[in-house]
Amino acid sequence: MTPSSVLLNLALSFAGLSALCLAMDRHHRAIFRVAPSRRQARALRGAGWCGIAASFAAAVILADWNFGPVQWLGSLTGAALLVVGLVSYRPRWIRPAALAALPLAAAAAFLA
Amino acid sequence: MKPGFRQSMAWLHTWAGLVTGWVMFCVFVTGTATYYRADISHWMRPELQAAAVEPGVAVERGAAYLKVHAPKAVAWFVSVPQAERPLLDVYWFDSFETPIRQATLDAGTGAPTTVRATQGGDFLYRFHYELQMMPGLGRWIVGASALVLLVALVSGIVTHRRIFSDFFTFRRDRSAQRGWLDAHNVTGVLALPFHLMITYTGIVTLAFTLMPWGITSAYRGDELRFFVEAGQSPAWRAAAGRPADALPLAPLMARAQAEVSEPLEMAIINNPGDAASTVVAVFEEPKGLAHRHPQVVFEATSGAVIARLGTLKPAAHVFTSFLGLHEAHFAGPALRGLFFLCGLLGSATIATGLVLWAVARAPKAGAVPGFALSLVRGLNLGTILGLPIGIAAFFLANRLLPVAMNERATWEGAVFFAAWGLAAMVGLARPYARTWREMGAAAALLFLSVPLVSDLTTDRGLDFAGFDAAMIAIGLTLAWGARKVSHYRGPARLRAATAPEALARA
Repeated sequence: MTPSSVLLNLALSFAGLSALCLAMDRHHRAIFRVAPSRRQARALRGAGWCGIAASFAAAVILADWNFGPVQWLGSLTGAALLVVGLVSYRPRWIRPAALAALPLAAAAAFLA
Repeated sequence: MKPGFRQSMAWLHTWAGLVTGWVMFCVFVTGTATYYRADISHWMRPELQAAAVEPGVAVERGAAYLKVHAPKAVAWFVSVPQAERPLLDVYWFDSFETPIRQATLDAGTGAPTTVRATQGGDFLYRFHYELQMMPGLGRWIVGASALVLLVALVSGIVTHRRIFSDFFTFRRDRSAQRGWLDAHNVTGVLALPFHLMITYTGIVTLAFTLMPWGITSAYRGDELRFFVEAGQSPAWRAAAGRPADALPLAPLMARAQAEVSEPLEMAIINNPGDAASTVVAVFEEPKGLAHRHPQVVFEATSGAVIARLGTLKPAAHVFTSFLGLHEAHFAGPALRGLFFLCGLLGSATIATGLVLWAVARAPKAGAVPGFALSLVRGLNLGTILGLPIGIAAFFLANRLLPVAMNERATWEGAVFFAAWGLAAMVGLARPYARTWREMGAAAALLFLSVPLVSDLTTDRGLDFAGFDAAMIAIGLTLAWGARKVSHYRGPARLRAATAPEALARA
């Protein structure tokens, strides 16, 4: 439950949820003007769920079964709020932000 | 025609949400603030600097005060000064029928403290589950509202058809109603696990108030035995009726501490001065979800260990785990921040739901709103902006009321209710869109003035930077919200008035 483990959770959840968001027609269109192809959508969705699963795994490994799920759900809420804020006010920032979240997650994992 | 299942649920959600919304908004806001209860208490006692006192010595000092001021009490409680609360709190019962009494002592000297009298963060904490009413009544209102809120949550999930496809959707460019609905959905769905958890566990914490009958019928007249058998409190030993000298407390505390790894939190002396007196050393919660405290019970005269409490039976363990999950004492700073954020989202869900009710029933342009709509609009204003105004006034009162004032702690509470009551009256008298702007700006100014006033009246430098930053953030958020409201309504009305196709559609 160290700050760096929460940061790792947040970064992974944010990257995963961003991918899920981009996999949806409406949001993809708002950012790239076109709907994603079926393959793109499937790849984004897969990556998104992987991110969320990785976040869960990280939470359980770092904060064990007692607190892990609590921390994971909390980080999902925080990250989702960030995605919603970006997608409605700064949609173009989503992709770079999600990509930047990955090295951030790596750094946080190194510290945690 | 019979309405479909979803329509019935939508009806249930609308009305269950409306009738409990105002109470639950207050419960959510004050509960969210309570995640930082210790920090608020700290800020509200600026004279206090952390002083390290040996726990055993602190217990002796508290007992010495009680020996003089409450020699006939049936039980003494001495809570050990903590880093976040470096004061010596003593409590006592004169008899089982009388309410608990309390005194706050200086940890260094054991004399009554000269620190300003304030309830600190406990004021908002008590409001959270008792609404500062008579405890029984307040808990009943909060508990019953929470039950209805749980119904509103579940029926809301059923009503919300597009949880996943609208997961990230917040449409600001459509009608006002669409915007409020999206805001309600997003804040509700994103923190849904939290909303369900906090409402359910909140009801569990009030379970003994809401449903006392199981215990009263099983333990006729001896309800205390329930907590003994559940492993939560040691057995009560009746007084022998003859006085006897007790052993010094500090060595007993040291012996108990040798068995437990957590720090000492409190010492309880039952039947002080009696031959059958017992001393209980209560320790802080071990790391874990459950809210439970290891305890070691001594015989006060001989020093023999009578009982050790720590492990709980499964049902009690589940109960205390729910309690622990609700209070989140286990959360470190980062996780606590997430809990706080979820609490804010919960407050926002309720607030947007209440506003949505009024927006969805707005009369056509030029028509006079009915009484019910005006009442709901007024109560929305008085609650959603009135409560923050009350809280800001409460913080300001803490700095501005004279330190030596009589009944000072009560006056702080009075300022809270007076400011809130005033705001609520303004809201009820003028339930208009522009009142949102004006009262939002007033609330923002009040919060922004808190760090300023605090800096002018105390000399703690940057000790409270975190609290000040939070006040500024809340103030700026309120100012931003007030500005949003004023900018949003204008263009929408203008567009509707000038665009013929919009008129045709309406």
